[in-house]
Amino acid sequence: MNWVYRGRCWRFGDNLAIDGEIMPLRFALSRETDPNVLRDFLMSEIDPDFPKKVKPGDIIVAGRRFGQGNPHIQGFLGIRGHGLGLVAESIPRGSFRNAINAGLPFLAPCAGVTAACETGDELEVNFETGLFRNLTRGQDHQYQPIEPELREIVAVGGWANHVRKRLAQTTTA
Amino acid sequence: MGQTISEKILSRATGRPVKAGEIIYPKPDLVTCHDWYVVNFDKALQEFGVTKLFDPSRVLISTDHEPVAVAPASSERQKRVREIVAKYGITQFYDVGRGGLGHIFPIEMGFIRPGMFVEAYDTHVTNYGAVGCLGIAFVVEVSEIMALGSVWMKVPETVRVNLHGKLQPGTSMRDVAQKLIADLGDELIDYSVVEFGGPGMIDIDISGRHTLCNTPLEIGAKSALVEPDEATLAYLKPRTKEPLELIKSDANAVFRKVIDYDLNKIGPQVAVPPTPDNVHPIDKALGTPIQHAFIGSCASGNFKDLADAAAILKDRRIHPDVRLYVTPATQEVALEATRAGLMEIFLAAGATLTQAGCGPCAGGRIGAMAEGETSINTGTRNDPRRLGASGDVYLASPLTVAASAIAGKITDPRSMLAKE
Repeated sequence: MNWVYRGRCWRFGDNLAIDGEIMPLRFALSRETDPNVLRDFLMSEIDPDFPKKVKPGDIIVAGRRFGQGNPHIQGFLGIRGHGLGLVAESIPRGSFRNAINAGLPFLAPCAGVTAACETGDELEVNFETGLFRNLTRGQDHQYQPIEPELREIVAVGGWANHVRKRLAQTTTA
Repeated sequence: MGQTISEKILSRATGRPVKAGEIIYPKPDLVTCHDWYVVNFDKALQEFGVTKLFDPSRVLISTDHEPVAVAPASSERQKRVREIVAKYGITQFYDVGRGGLGHIFPIEMGFIRPGMFVEAYDTHVTNYGAVGCLGIAFVVEVSEIMALGSVWMKVPETVRVNLHGKLQPGTSMRDVAQKLIADLGDELIDYSVVEFGGPGMIDIDISGRHTLCNTPLEIGAKSALVEPDEATLAYLKPRTKEPLELIKSDANAVFRKVIDYDLNKIGPQVAVPPTPDNVHPIDKALGTPIQHAFIGSCASGNFKDLADAAAILKDRRIHPDVRLYVTPATQEVALEATRAGLMEIFLAAGATLTQAGCGPCAGGRIGAMAEGETSINTGTRNDPRRLGASGDVYLASPLTVAASAIAGKITDPRSMLAKE
């Protein structure tokens, strides 16, 4: 798995709601879990053109409590569907699990990261080491990467693949 | 370094000493799931090719979200649940009329004890903290637990809350539990276990402890528990033959924060829509007309909650514009309330009694609100549509809900207790 993403920064503020702002609620209600379907609606209630503007390797940088609300996984699957990375000042518990389970490379919590960049900056983020480089500003920031046990789940592509891997280990053990 | 109660419980469940912040795969003593998710976890297991549960004797299933099947599809689902329970050989199955609300009856039956670790589908399993057990919800990941007997978690930090003083007349633990989460705030509580103790605990019975452990997860707590004490032992001894241990945090345990909280200062509270932590003194909502009222749920459906409501409803009639549903949490609560004459008081007042379980709080499948109506109730949450339709939902104590149902508008229960 490639842990280093290089691309444009897309910066958002605090308290982005998982239902509505990050992904329209109807996909949670219909239990849609295909990243290729969900990608076309990512952040569309904030900016209808957002899904067309982003490219794989781009990085969403968000403020506090990214993904707040009733923890639905669809928003994180939509981010993964575009091949984007995520760096957030904080992610509440239920959404943190969903980000792992969606197989999304991310860094959180990263205090002050929204002050370290703005939309359009060229970023390079290493999700394995926590190194956040703003190439436009020529500044580096070091954050705590997510734990190795959780990177393992992300590396295999998320929850379902990880469960399959654990099941296979149980039968061979 | 010392350990908190939660670190001790998780150390035992992991088989080695653990501390806050570590990622672990602890082994639960029990896994619970309710009627509405059984078909889903079975489907997930089939997709994974799993045909056996990790340990069917450690799984408990309760029919509580929709105990009385109200549509042909519900009857079919109940039948499927029974088939799935039989297929996996699950022995602890409490169908309609047997147990009641799965966050409460396992405590009454002595299955839940201090120091135990329970994993669950449903979020309000934190009620098990009432007797010093750590209950944690994993929602859809319960399928992984059913198959493999564990799932990852981060050992949570603990916020210790020491209660002082006594409840004032016209207030209940529900007022305290609601006010407390509003005062603590989501920033402090996120991803923590709230541990209750202190000198004020001596006057708080197991019913009140259920309520205390029920609310913190609404603002992001991983769980909540009460430090077990003599009251815990007195409650559990007649209910179990298993050894009981008074587990406590070490004197040098590390807490995220220690908070002292004064019960004397708390009057009737109301959680104003649309969130359970939007809590204000009742004055904020006094006089708001209501059409729908409900007493019950895992937050406030125990005998003491019903007795509080009955004290207000005795020799009074519910307002003509209001329908009041009363749902005892469990079969045992219903039986005890019947023997104590509470059901007679509810019926004489014009209330509607429903089968033990979650009642209208489970998405309004039973006794829902209609569009544009206003409800005051003792359910767990007040999001729009929690009770079926998109009207305003106010949360309050059983005393306040009963007083409001009589007056037809949100009312301070102290005005109806004055004659004593």
